[in-house]
Order: sequence, then C-alpha cells, then structure tokens
Amino acid sequence: MSTIRVRSAASYWLAVPAAVWMLGVVVVPIALLAWVSLWGGRTFSPASPLTVDNYTKFFANKTYLQLALSTVGHTALLMVITGVLGYCIAYFLTMKVKSPAWRLILFLAFIVPFWTSTLIRGIAWVPFLGVNGVLNQALMFTGATRTPIEAFLYSVFGISMAQVSLYTMMAAGPVIYMLNAVAPQLREAAMTLKAPPLVVFWRIVFPLTLPGVVIGQVLVFLNVMADFATVATVGGNKHAMLSNLVLLFYEGSQHRAASVVAVLLMICMLIGVVAAMKVVDIRRLGADR
Amino acid sequence: MDALAPRTAGVAPSLPVAKPQLDLELRDIRKKYGDFTAVDGVSLKVPKGQFVCLLGPSGCGKTTTLRCIAGLEDPDDGGVLIGGKEVTRDPPWQRDIAMMFQDFALFPHMTVAKNVAFGLEMLKQPKARIAERVAQVLASFEISALADRKPGSLSGGQRQRVALARAMITEPRLLLLDEPIGALDYSLRETVMLELKLLQQRTGISFIWVTHDQNEAFSLGDLVVVMNHARIEQQGTPEDILQRPATAFVASFIQGNNVFRGTVLERAGGNVRIETAAGVFIVPCLGASPEIGATATFSVRAENISDTVSERHPNRLTAHCTAVEYFGAVRRHIFERADGEVLKVDHFGAQAARIAPGQSVLLGWQVEDTVLHQGIPG
Repeated sequence: MSTIRVRSAASYWLAVPAAVWMLGVVVVPIALLAWVSLWGGRTFSPASPLTVDNYTKFFANKTYLQLALSTVGHTALLMVITGVLGYCIAYFLTMKVKSPAWRLILFLAFIVPFWTSTLIRGIAWVPFLGVNGVLNQALMFTGATRTPIEAFLYSVFGISMAQVSLYTMMAAGPVIYMLNAVAPQLREAAMTLKAPPLVVFWRIVFPLTLPGVVIGQVLVFLNVMADFATVATVGGNKHAMLSNLVLLFYEGSQHRAASVVAVLLMICMLIGVVAAMKVVDIRRLGADR
Repeated sequence: MDALAPRTAGVAPSLPVAKPQLDLELRDIRKKYGDFTAVDGVSLKVPKGQFVCLLGPSGCGKTTTLRCIAGLEDPDDGGVLIGGKEVTRDPPWQRDIAMMFQDFALFPHMTVAKNVAFGLEMLKQPKARIAERVAQVLASFEISALADRKPGSLSGGQRQRVALARAMITEPRLLLLDEPIGALDYSLRETVMLELKLLQQRTGISFIWVTHDQNEAFSLGDLVVVMNHARIEQQGTPEDILQRPATAFVASFIQGNNVFRGTVLERAGGNVRIETAAGVFIVPCLGASPEIGATATFSVRAENISDTVSERHPNRLTAHCTAVEYFGAVRRHIFERADGEVLKVDHFGAQAARIAPGQSVLLGWQVEDTVLHQGIPG
C-alpha cells in the first residue's frame, strides 16, 4: 500500500489560502458582475428587480452584434497568424538551433521584451506605425511610396501588427515545450519506415505537439479577446472590440450595460476554452508518455 | 507466420547469374564527431540472408555503424551498399531497410494497428491491402488482441513484438536492430531470441543486430563482428571467435579466456616459445611469424585447462585456487597465477574434480589449445 495518503485531511488545508484568495478576487466579483447585469428598474441599487432586459437590449442592437462578430473574427485571424508564426519559431528554436548557447540567446531575445508591460509594448508601436513613423520614413526613403501611408496606425492593420508581436510567444511557448518532449527516435523510426521529412512532420511531430498548439491558441484567444489597451492606443478610438465596449459603458456610468458585455465576453471565452478542450484534453497532458 | 514468407526473387530466370549479391557491404566507413572518432575504417560484407551481430563494449562504434547503414548518420568517408546498390548519400527513407530501436520508438499517439500500418502507408499501398496485411502480420506476431491499444498501455514484451511487426511488414532487405532485447526482462530474452532467429531463417531477411551481450551474439549470429575503439577487431563465425580470438582484446572481452602476455623466446617448428611472468609456454604460430624478442599475447580457454596433467599437456603452471563459481552445468575455479593474475578453469559436471579454495594445483593444457593473437599489444 502506498504511504502517500491522498485523502489526508491535512492536504485540503494547503488549498485554503489560494481558495480564499480566488474566492475574494475572482469568484465574488464575477458573481457580483453577473448579478448587476440582471438589475432592472430605474435606480441603480441592489433593491432592483431582476430581469433579462439588459441582455435583450444588447441583442436588439445590430451595431453591438456586429461588434461582437468582428471581435471574434479579429481574434480568429490573430490566432491563425500567431499560431503559424509561433510554431515556426518553436520549431526553429528546438529543431534547427543545435548549439545550446545560441538556443538560449535566441530564446532570451524573444522573451526579454516581455519584461516590459503589455501596455508599453502596445504604445511602442505608435511611433513605429505613425505618419512620420519609422515604417513610413523607411518606405519613403526607399521610394516605395511618395506620401506617408496613414492606414498603418489607428487601423485594424496596426492593431493586428501590435497584437501579433505581443502574443506570438504565447503561441510558441507551449509548442517549444512539446517539441522538446518528442523523442528523436520517433522521427528516426518514421524515416526508416520510408517517411520523407514532411510526412514525418505531419504524421508524427505535429500530432504529438498538438496539445501545445491548442494551449497556445487558448492563451492567444483569451488575451486578444480581453485586450482593450492595444485596441485603444494603436487603434486610436477609431476601432473597438467587445472589451472596449465594456470600458465605454463604464466610463459613461452605464454599469448595467458594462456588466452585460463583460458577462457575454466571459461566456465567449468559456465557450472557446471548452471547444479547445474538446480537441485536446489538456488536463491529461503527458499522461500517454 | 505465413504472412512473412521468404522474399520471392522477382528476377527473370534467363538473366545471367553474376557473382552472388551481397545484402550489405560497408567499404571503409569513417565517422568523427569533433575530435572523437566513432567509426574508424569499418569494412564488412554480408551475403544474402545472414544473421550478423555487431558485438562490442559501449562506445565501440557499433551503434554508429548501424546508424550509418540506416542513413541516420552520414559517414565522413567510405561507402555503404545495400543489395549491391550504392546508398551512401541516400536518406533513410530511400533505403531498403527497416530498423528496430532499443526503446522500440513506437508512435505514442497511434494504435498498435496504425503503428504497424505506417510503413505500408508510406509505400502508398491501397487501403484494403494494407488492412489485410496488417491483420495478417498482427496475427502472425500474436498481437491481434492489441490492435486498438496505444503503446503506452503495453508491456515491454508486447511493445517489442509491435516494433518487430512494424519493421517486418515492409519486407525490407535488411533489418537493423539496436539492442532489440536490451529493454526486456531476462526471463523473456531467451524465448524472444529463439523466435527472432527462427523468423530470420524463415524470411531470409538479413538481420544486423547490435549488442554488447556476447551470449546474444554467439547464440544468434551466423557472423559475429567484434568491435572496439571504432574498429573491427575480428569477424567470423561464433566458433572462430570463441576458439580462435584474433586479438588480445577479443580474448579478454569474450568470457572464458585466459590471456597471457610475454616475450617471444625462440621458434620451434610451427610453434614459438613465449616467456611470461607465469612461466614459459609453447604456442602454435598458425601462419603468423612473430619476431624473436617481440612482445606477444596468447590465450587459452578456461575449459581447455586440465587439473589431471599428463604428457599431452606441455604447457603447465601451478596456481592457487581462490574461489569456485557455479554456472549451471559448469563449475568454474578461480586461480591465482604465480604473477598474481587470475586464471579461470572450467569443469563440466561429469569431470567432478573438486578443488577447494586454498589448494595449490598443477594445471596444464595442450599446445593446440593455445591461441596466438595478432598485432602488437598496446
């Protein structure tokens, strides 16, 4: 019999500090948010009657629905771009860079920017993409264009550029981990069974790293859906995602509408995570090996 | 195992038969990793349908040699020919080989059936044909019941069978095996060895089997290749290597040899007299011509040393018994020679000469049981 007593009561006490913390800063606020989103009546008070009117109003507005749809579309595009770039970076770092020193240097080069806050890194794109920005100056210097292109900044293009740079390593990180776990003999065995390199990748390496891809995609999905800061700074208030709508309503003291959008945003994210879990059971990661 | 019938030669009978084709030929293979020489001029010819064992201590270059045959390593120099075709620079997927890895390297995300089907899928065979062949091969390896299981849930013996089935299904010319039973329990190994030997004989596929275990090499190999320090020390039948070790390394690496080192005193007919710290012994030259005064090594097998010395035993010494070991039918006496070295003497059950530890005994052996080694010992 094992001497590790899984059901020991003492082990539950170890979870208490974290549980209390999570209850206080996550569970209770979310419950409050959901509650507020159901408040009806004219006065903003806990005495309000509960109703789904706030939600009906949201869904009755075509503009809001389009915004929700474009947010999901934008997030999907970001997931594709960061997924492909992230996988390429991960594959290059683990499979192509043989020297451990170089691997570390390159990995740090990718990671060090993350020591700066997301907001700063987002804002840093403004002088790069602006009318007098680095990109336009370079294009005009090389003669590719005579007048600066305004579409770079304060546009969906600019937002996407910034977000790709912010979130690609989130897609790459879990893949790096999974690629390192693929035993070289598996690829060699496939090769001796007449599989050329692309087939080895598609039949052996990619399926074995799929959990990493999915985890990376979940991270990117959650972050892009929630990212109002980059959209606000690089998008320059000309563009909005669902998360910006929360801010907008909040600043206009429309707390009930803000709660509705926040709750809907959370539901979207939850659906995304559940869908990801259907593809790969990330809770059982590594159990096969 | 009808699914693995011998390769039927698709050659038209009217073609003139050239010299017998080799399944594998290595021509002076060399491979270095930085300053470390892994393979240093290995040449080998494997006729059709041979069971070849590459035997040697770890780090001797046997696995690198195997990987050069597979195409998983690029030799710096030399040539690899499989079935008479030069493949030195061909990638693994273009060679007529299959390989079994030490840890079996089964694809963890595929079922047993998918693992076994992989090679045929790569050969682009029709789906129905693949399903039929997989069913046949799974049945012949007695693993049909495992078809839908993932490798993670299999025992070591089951994984070994799946790996073998996966490799054999493509009917390669060569099967390369890297310590294929090293990961199995001892109790399983003997059975598996016999099965593999029979499989090799039935299919006529040449097996190149890498091992550090001489019991495996001698019980399986038609041809045993002993390697050390990136070179081939000796190649021959198990009998050759057991009875006539070519070098001091082979003699000391193979169990049951007593190695002596000394100086050549004089020649006498086909023999030389060699002076060692344990005495002067007569050693047959057999074609070699050691120089007078040169250092030479020779060996005598433990079972050829007798404790009932007569005029048939001109090579004699007195030694002090220190221990007795039992290996099934064999009783091994460990002696200490006059020069402090260990001398092993094996007796079979019937010759029940019981020498107790502590006794000093006169031992002797015949001239023809003494084997002179090639090369100048280092």
